[in-house]
Amino acid sequence: MVKNFVLALMLVAMTASPTLAKTIVFATDATWPPMEFVGPDKKITGLAVDLMEAAGKEAGFTPEFKAVAWDGIFAGLASGKYDAICSSVTITDERKAAMDFSTPYMQVKQALVIPKKSDAKCIENMKGKTLGAQISTTGHFAVKKSEGVKDKSYDEVGLAFEDLFNGRIDGVVCDDPVAKLYALKKDNYKDAMKIACIIPADDEMYGVAVKKGDKETLALINKGLEAVKKKGIEKEILTKWLGTAE
Amino acid sequence: MKHQGKCAVEEPQIIIDVGDGAAIPKPSDKGLVSAWRLSFAGALLVLGYLLVFHPDPYLRIFKFIPDGILITFQVTVCSIALALVFGLITGLGRISRNKYVNLVASTYVEIVRGVPLLVQLFYIYYALGRIVHVPDLLAAVLSMSVCYGAYMGEVFRAGILAIPTGQTEAARSLGFSRTQTMYYVVLPQAWRTILPPVGNEFIALLKDTSLVSILGVADLLRRGREFASESFLYFETFTMVAVVYLIITLVLSKLVSIMEERLSHHVKR
Amino acid sequence: MSNDNPIIRITDVSKYFDTVAALTHVSLDIGQGEKVVIIGPSGSGKSTLLRTINRLEDISTGRIVVDGFDLDDKTVDINKVRMEVGMVFQSFNLFPHKTVLQNLTLAPIKLKGMSEKEADVMARQLLDKVGILEKADVFPAKLSGGQQQRVAIARALAMSPKIMLFDEPTSALDPEMIGEVLDVMVKLAREGMTMVCVTHEMGFAREVADRIVFMDEGQILEIATPAQFYTNPQHPRTQKFLEQIL
Repeated sequence: MVKNFVLALMLVAMTASPTLAKTIVFATDATWPPMEFVGPDKKITGLAVDLMEAAGKEAGFTPEFKAVAWDGIFAGLASGKYDAICSSVTITDERKAAMDFSTPYMQVKQALVIPKKSDAKCIENMKGKTLGAQISTTGHFAVKKSEGVKDKSYDEVGLAFEDLFNGRIDGVVCDDPVAKLYALKKDNYKDAMKIACIIPADDEMYGVAVKKGDKETLALINKGLEAVKKKGIEKEILTKWLGTAE
Repeated sequence: MKHQGKCAVEEPQIIIDVGDGAAIPKPSDKGLVSAWRLSFAGALLVLGYLLVFHPDPYLRIFKFIPDGILITFQVTVCSIALALVFGLITGLGRISRNKYVNLVASTYVEIVRGVPLLVQLFYIYYALGRIVHVPDLLAAVLSMSVCYGAYMGEVFRAGILAIPTGQTEAARSLGFSRTQTMYYVVLPQAWRTILPPVGNEFIALLKDTSLVSILGVADLLRRGREFASESFLYFETFTMVAVVYLIITLVLSKLVSIMEERLSHHVKR
Repeated sequence: MSNDNPIIRITDVSKYFDTVAALTHVSLDIGQGEKVVIIGPSGSGKSTLLRTINRLEDISTGRIVVDGFDLDDKTVDINKVRMEVGMVFQSFNLFPHKTVLQNLTLAPIKLKGMSEKEADVMARQLLDKVGILEKADVFPAKLSGGQQQRVAIARALAMSPKIMLFDEPTSALDPEMIGEVLDVMVKLAREGMTMVCVTHEMGFAREVADRIVFMDEGQILEIATPAQFYTNPQHPRTQKFLEQIL
């Protein structure tokens, strides 16, 4: 009797828990401040983290963040090591072919950061120069696309900025929120660097990536994102991290 | 005096821990089928098969990585050359009778052996980068050779110490100075004992050059990573990268074994 | 005996290994062309004494003058002295990476600036003398012990030394090879070479030595002509030693 009762209880618990609060594991390359990075308390934090937590509250899921190196991040999704990627992933056609994306949660552009003393206007003045970017980011693609510019790829965008600061490369291309943080806010760097320009291109949208065909996870995330936007929570978060909601 | 038990000419015998290098083919492995031949033929077959029968994406990958292979090759060759120099100096320093020279050499070995190569790479490139602007390739070569110089220093030291003192005494009694004795008598013999473990270090070094990709040096591994993370063809890309590394390593290990044979054929009993 | 103007003058020499005395107050003069055989039990210091003559062993106190050079004088180039003092070792110590001929020519070419041709001719003469010319181009490892030791003697002679030191040259040899080495040494003695030999070969000592030096416990106990030494030993310990070996 007792045994049956326990079994029944367990059965109920197992079926009920996902609807109570499903845990979604998000992979993130936490080297991309202010979007996602490791804070002083060694926890992954940032704009995207706040956003997902807010979305989770609205849609009823518990986000859990897992630090993953960027250049292996998509492989891990495909092999099911986590449920989603929330790591400032720009939605591109190539990526759409390999995975599914949520509704865009942020719009970014590619910014070129150069030394303060440089008089280059934008990427077209960088012929023969070496530009750094994080490996296989849209910034890296932009550098590769520019004719006559040498590219150098880094595991982390921070290393690219350090190399720029040390004078080994002539510029860094990355998403504009990141560029703003490094070039305008960081000690040392802010006296040595400036944002030269926003590289003209189509606007880029960040989306949360899920494994192709994982409609359940996608629906939850989209539901949360929509609610967050409607209720104005998104604006609060943007203002908190970027200083403006634009 | 009792001398009966003593062998007349002692064959220098030392046992030196081998690193994680690929096995250098032994002269005894000369049969038709040896592990080396099997791996080499296998690697070439796999490479050929992939390129011919699955040109998409393998040929695309293969076309993407040659400059990475070149960089890996350059870093390896330069690092080996420099590490040999560092190793010889360190080895001699470790057996020096001058206690300051000895102390400096020993401290260098202790420090380098106590810090992981990856950390050394970060240190020379990024930490010291604030003070001296070492270009990335040079930083890579420097880190590799400083690290492997210390390892090789130990091998050199052991190899030199393995030469019977009778050799030194014979040379000194003829009127050779300490340096001349080292140059004409000890080192040419030590080289024979040193080569197999040094060869292992060469191969370990070649494989460890893959670490320099963290400096943004576009070596074979980084080219592979770039291709993979852009195309999402992880399996295909890293299969290719592994096969190419394997082929390079096997070629190097063959070279070392050829050198070994050349150096030792006339002293064989 | 021509001890008025000795070519080797050992005066009151002591040597300590840490606190153990290997030699205590040893004095010995050896004249030009003299053949001295040093005999004594194991650990008596005879090899040590021999090795002090070309300073393979340093001495703690006393003075050694070889061919007018004070070995402890800092201005004396010991390498110059060693060129004039050939040494033959118990374990041959041929250079295994050099052919027999190269073993002979290495030092004359590098140290005396002899041309390769000159050295070659000289080396072949010496190899002929020790009866091993046919092995000129062989590596030492291919030779028997007796052959190796003859090459070692020829190698020492290649520097045209004034003095030859022999440190138990036959002790490592199989019995049937001892004769061929002793023959070479006898030949050398007949030519008037100054020789100091540490050996157990009584026949050789009797035939060749001008004087026999008996050592025990780091001291010279008796110096005598072979005739005196073997028929009428003076020191009790010499008597005891001879009883044991004869």
